[in-house]
Amino acid sequence: MFDPIMEQILAIARDAWAFMAGLLIVVALLGGLYFILQGTAGMAFGGSRMTSMAIIGVVGLVIIVLFAFLFLPQLGEMLKNFQPKPPF
Amino acid sequence: MSEVTSLLLTFLREAWVALAGAFVAFALLAGIAQMLRVSSASVLGANLWVWESISALISILVLGLFAFLGIPQIVSALQSSLPGAGGCGPISELGTLASGLIGGLAALRMLKAAFTTMLSASIGGASSFANALIESGEALFGMILASAAIPLAAWFLGTC
Repeated sequence: MFDPIMEQILAIARDAWAFMAGLLIVVALLGGLYFILQGTAGMAFGGSRMTSMAIIGVVGLVIIVLFAFLFLPQLGEMLKNFQPKPPF
Repeated sequence: MSEVTSLLLTFLREAWVALAGAFVAFALLAGIAQMLRVSSASVLGANLWVWESISALISILVLGLFAFLGIPQIVSALQSSLPGAGGCGPISELGTLASGLIGGLAALRMLKAAFTTMLSASIGGASSFANALIESGEALFGMILASAAIPLAAWFLGTC
C-alpha cells in the first residue's frame, strides 16, 4: 500500500542527494581555490602563517569531502542493515 | 475479529517498513546537508558553525541507532507486558485486538517521533526536538497504562 508513496519519496530523496552532492563539490572547489589564492598571496609577501593556514585549510577541506562521500554512504548501509522488522 | 486484527496489523507493518525506509533516506540527506554546512563554514572560518554541524551529525547517528535498535526492543518489552486476552468470548478477542493495535500504534508513533526528531536535529530545531521526545515518552506511557487498563476492562465487563 505504501510502496508507490515510498517510490516517490525515494525518487525525490535521490534527486536531493545528487543536488547536494553536486553543491558540496562546487563549494569544496571554490573553497580550495580560495585557500590556494590565500596560500599564494601569503607566499608572495612572506606571510608564512597565512600560507600554512591555507595549506591546513585545503587539507581540512579534502578530509571533509572524503568524509562526506565515503562515510555517509557507509552510514546509510549500516542503518539499512539495522533497519528493523516490525516488532508487533 | 482475528481477520480484522491481522488486516490492521498488516497495514501498520507496511507503514512501519515505509517509515523506516524514509527514515534512512532522510537521515542520509540530513547528513549530507550537515557536511555541506561544515565545508562552507570551514571555508568561511566559522568555527561555531562547524561544531554545530558536527554535533548535529553525531545526533543524527545516535537517533538512527536509537530508532533502529532501541525502539523495537522497547516495543517488544512493553508488548510482552500487555495482557493479550482477559476472560473469554468476545472480551478475549477484543483484548487480543486491543493489545495488538496498541503495540502497533505505539511502535509507529515512536518511530514517527524519532523521524521528526531526526528532521529537527538536521535543521537545528531544538523545540521540535523536545516535542518529539515528549511524544515518544507519551507513547511509552500509553503502553504502560494500557497494560493496566486491559485487565481492568476485562474485569469490569465480566470474565469467565
